[in-house]
Amino acid sequence: MPPEAKKEMDAPERELCALMEGYLDGRIEAFDGLHAALSGRIRGYLLSQCRDAALADDLLQDTFMQIHRSRRTYEPGRPVTPWVFAIARHVYLMKRRSTGRRLRFEDTLAAEAKSSDVPQDDLRALVEKDEVRRALEQVPADQRQALLLHHVEGWSFVEIAARLGIRVNAAKTRAFRGMKKMRGQLK
Amino acid sequence: MSAPHDLRAAIARDLTPVKPLRSPWVRALALAPLAAAIVFAVPALHFFRSDIGALGFVRAWGFSYAQAVAGIVIVAAALRESIPGRALSRAALWWIIAGGLGLPAVVLALTTSTFDIGPAPGRAWMDGLGCFRASAGASVPALICAALLVARAFPLRPGVAGALYGLGCGLIADAGLRLYCEYSAPPHMVFAHGGAILGAMFAGVLVAWISGPRPS
Repeated sequence: MPPEAKKEMDAPERELCALMEGYLDGRIEAFDGLHAALSGRIRGYLLSQCRDAALADDLLQDTFMQIHRSRRTYEPGRPVTPWVFAIARHVYLMKRRSTGRRLRFEDTLAAEAKSSDVPQDDLRALVEKDEVRRALEQVPADQRQALLLHHVEGWSFVEIAARLGIRVNAAKTRAFRGMKKMRGQLK
Repeated sequence: MSAPHDLRAAIARDLTPVKPLRSPWVRALALAPLAAAIVFAVPALHFFRSDIGALGFVRAWGFSYAQAVAGIVIVAAALRESIPGRALSRAALWWIIAGGLGLPAVVLALTTSTFDIGPAPGRAWMDGLGCFRASAGASVPALICAALLVARAFPLRPGVAGALYGLGCGLIADAGLRLYCEYSAPPHMVFAHGGAILGAMFAGVLVAWISGPRPS
């Protein structure tokens, strides 16, 4: 970025730039500083989008995980705020898309449940259904665990990763592969 | 607001110094040697157009390399698009796409005085397919290289980034094709040459969608 553009940034933005550069250097205190400076604004933005406080908290964590994964795409000297908010918006849109997919999947399960005469009240009950249970049994244990925690218990991937002691990406991959395998079994 | 313990722990576990990506323009320059090779290789692997001497150095090689540079600039725009917070505006996108698609027509208009040189009767399909194949094939190495460069960033609109780098790579390939094909008839130019550029653009969209970020 040209130095004159850097001069045009206000003081808080320059401070964010310095923190971001520290974060790129691998300093956890810089991450703490960034989190302290940005989390309130990002949460407010996410809350305005999803109108659900718990989900906004979840998305806030996902946003910081995504910021961490893509931190190398930050160009030193450029304003941090647009970069961060573009990622937050992306995280929100991806969540909305995946929720839509999950709801469609749950609708399919619910429709299947209705077609059999077994009374089913909720997704937990659906999992008890023989057909679904058999399909679940075919899914490897580690994938099944991630799948159930995310899709049935509603845990975020950050929580699953912390609980299982794995990376967030690994949690996502396990849940995704498990779901794919289960879908294949149900066909 | 302090970071939740599990988030901070997850970050701390994985926190190593990283080198930020270079600017899009610098990264796009990585394509320059490949682009130069493609422009030369397309006619060299087939044959040079028979009127290349009459065209002169500037109108033959100069215009081709200028078109290849335009292709690299469009790939740089795709690399910029792939950085969060630096998405191109809708107007800029339209200008880039319209300019990219229109550039071969402008180059053709500047290098030919007659627009009626086309395939012999009955050969339109075969010659068209030959040009399409040569251009599409030549754009593949550049597409792979550009896709790798874009994938190293974080394209939030992968389709847009893919369309841009596909267009850029299509232009680079077409810059070589114009040193090989001497036709100027509009149907051949639009369907074979323009079609190959559009094909590269769609291939870019497809590759970017496949390799782009997925919902969790």
